[in-house]
Amino acid sequence: MRRLDLASAALLAILAVIFPFFVNAYWLHVMIIGMMFAIMAASWSLLAGYAGQFSFGHMGFVAVGGYTAGLLATGLNLPLPLGMLAGVLLSALLGGVIGWTCLRMSGPYLAIFTMAFSEVLRIIIVTEVEVTGGAGGMNVPQLFHARTDLPYYYLILALLMVSVGGMMAVVASRWGLFFRAIRENEQAAAAAGVKVTRFRIIAFAIASSLAGLAGAFYAPYIGILTPDVASQDQMGLVVAMAIVGGMESLPGAVAGAIVVEFLVEALRSYGQWRLVLFGALLLFTMRFARNGLIAPGWLRLRNLAAPRGARLAKEAAD
Amino acid sequence: MLQYFLIQAANGLVIGILFALIATGLTIIFSILKIVNFAHGEIYMVGGYFGYYVITLLGVPPFPAVLVAMALTFLFSIAVERGLLTPLYSPRIERKADYGILVTFGLSVFLRNIAIIIFGPFPLRPPSFITGDLVLGGLIISYDRLVAAGGGLLLLGALIWFLNRTVWGQALNAVSQSRESASIVGINSERMYMLAFGLGGALAGGAGALIAPIYSLSPSMGLVPDTQAFVIVILGGLGSVSGTIIAALLLGLSENLFIAFLPDPSRGPSYANAFGLAIMMLVLLFRPTGIFGRQHVAME
Repeated sequence: MRRLDLASAALLAILAVIFPFFVNAYWLHVMIIGMMFAIMAASWSLLAGYAGQFSFGHMGFVAVGGYTAGLLATGLNLPLPLGMLAGVLLSALLGGVIGWTCLRMSGPYLAIFTMAFSEVLRIIIVTEVEVTGGAGGMNVPQLFHARTDLPYYYLILALLMVSVGGMMAVVASRWGLFFRAIRENEQAAAAAGVKVTRFRIIAFAIASSLAGLAGAFYAPYIGILTPDVASQDQMGLVVAMAIVGGMESLPGAVAGAIVVEFLVEALRSYGQWRLVLFGALLLFTMRFARNGLIAPGWLRLRNLAAPRGARLAKEAAD
Repeated sequence: MLQYFLIQAANGLVIGILFALIATGLTIIFSILKIVNFAHGEIYMVGGYFGYYVITLLGVPPFPAVLVAMALTFLFSIAVERGLLTPLYSPRIERKADYGILVTFGLSVFLRNIAIIIFGPFPLRPPSFITGDLVLGGLIISYDRLVAAGGGLLLLGALIWFLNRTVWGQALNAVSQSRESASIVGINSERMYMLAFGLGGALAGGAGALIAPIYSLSPSMGLVPDTQAFVIVILGGLGSVSGTIIAALLLGLSENLFIAFLPDPSRGPSYANAFGLAIMMLVLLFRPTGIFGRQHVAME
C-alpha cells in the first residue's frame, strides 16, 4: 500500500514540475493560486481536522503574513524576502499567542473567539487607511522581475511540497498522535501524559505560520493586497476546500484546494453562482459524506488496485 | 452636544432592542440544540426580504407583514433544521459540536451568496411603517425607529410569556436542562428541536422585517448582526434569555455612545463593531460563562 502511495506522490511531483510546459499563462496562474490555497487548506485541516481546534481566524493570519511583508517592503524598504520571512515569523508568534489565550476554550467558543480576532484585524486594516490603504488595497512590489509567472510557480510548488511534507511528517510522528488524542478527549489525553497546553499552542503556531506563509507569497504575487483576504467568504472557501478533500487528510486538503480552485475558474462565466455552488458542495459533503469526497475516493481506488490476495488477507485479518 | 448624546442614546436603545431579538433567537437555539448557529445573521437577512416581498408583491400592509415574515422565517428555519441538522440527534455521529459549527458556517456562505442572485446585490428598502420624525424638545427620532423598538419590545414580551407561561415553553426549558429526563416525562425532544430552531429563526426574521425600513436590505446585512449577536450571547451568558436581553441593550447603548465619544468621527462607526468584539474576547478569556450566565451551561 505504502509503495503505491509513494509512487503516486512521485508521479504527481513530476507532473507538477512539467505542468507549466503544457498550459498557457492563464492556467498557470490558476495553478499558482490553487497551490497557495492548498497551503491554507492543508494547514487549516491540520489545526481543525487533526488537532480538533476549530479556528475561523485562519484568514486573519494570511492577512498578517501578507500585510507584514508588504508594509516592511514599502514602508521600511526592507528586501521583500526578509519582509516575507518576518510575516511568517509574526504569524507563528501571533498564532502561538492566540493558541495560548484560547487554552480554556473549545468548540464553538474557540470558533467565535478566532472569528472575532480575524474580524477585528480586518476592521483595523479597513479603517487605518493611511497605513494599509484601507479597502482600496495596498500595492506590494514584485518579487521576481521576469516576464512569466514561472519563478512564482516553482517557488509556490517548493513551498507547498515543503510545508505539506513537513506537516505530514509531524502528523506521522508522536506529535500527530498527541494532536489526535487532544482532539478526541482533552482530559483523557492529559491523564495519559500528553502535554495538552504545549501541543495546542504548537498546533496553532504551525498552522498560523503556514497561513502567514501563504499570505506572504500572495501579496507580492498579486501585487495588491486588500482586507478582503480576511473576509468570512474567503474563510468559507478554504473550509470548503479542506472539507471536500477530507478533513483528516492533508493530501486530501491539497487536492480539494486545487480541484475547487480549477472549478472556480472553469465556472467563471457563471459569476455569482460559483460561491453558491461551493456553499452547496460544503453543505452536501457535511451532510452526506463527512469524511470528504477526495480522500475516501482515493482510498477506494487504491483498494481496487491492490492485488486480490492482499485484499483477501486483509479482510481475513479484519 | 447634549442633544447629540441624547439622540445617540435613543438610537442605541432601539438598536439594542432589535439586537436582543436576534440574540435571544441564537441563545434559544443554543440552549436546546447545543449548537451555535453561525448562519443566524443570514436567517435574519432572509426574514427581512420575506417582509419586503410580502409588502411589495402581496400588498400586505407593513404592520401585519412583520408577522407574516416571522411565520415564513419560522417555516424556512424548520426546513433548514430538517434538511441539515437531523444528524445532530443521531447517536452515530461523533463530535456533534464540530458538525454544527461547520454545517451552519457553510449555510451562511450559501445563503449570503444565493441571496445576491435571488434578491440582487443592490439595497432594497420597503415602505416606512409611519413616515416622519417625532420631535420631543431636543430629541428627534424617526417613527420607523419607534415602531421597530415598540414592535421589538412586544415580541420580547410575547417570547418571555411563551417561555414561562405555556406548556411549550416549559417543555423547551425541560429539554434545555436535560434531554434524557425530558424524554422520560414524555416530551418529544425532536419536536422541541424543531420548535426551538424555528422560533429562534422567527425572532431573527422579525428583527429583519422591523429593521428593513431603517437600514434597507442587502444580502450581506447579516454579517454585522451575526458577530454582534455572538458578542451579546457571550456577554449575557450562552443559554440565558434575560441575560441576553440586558446584554443587548447595554451593547446597543455603549456602541452608540462609543461613536459619540470617540474624537475621530471617521473611525467611530467602523471601530464600534471592533469595540464590541474586543469586549467579547475579554469576556471569553476571563469569564467564559458570561456576565449573567448560568453556571451549568456547557457544551456536550
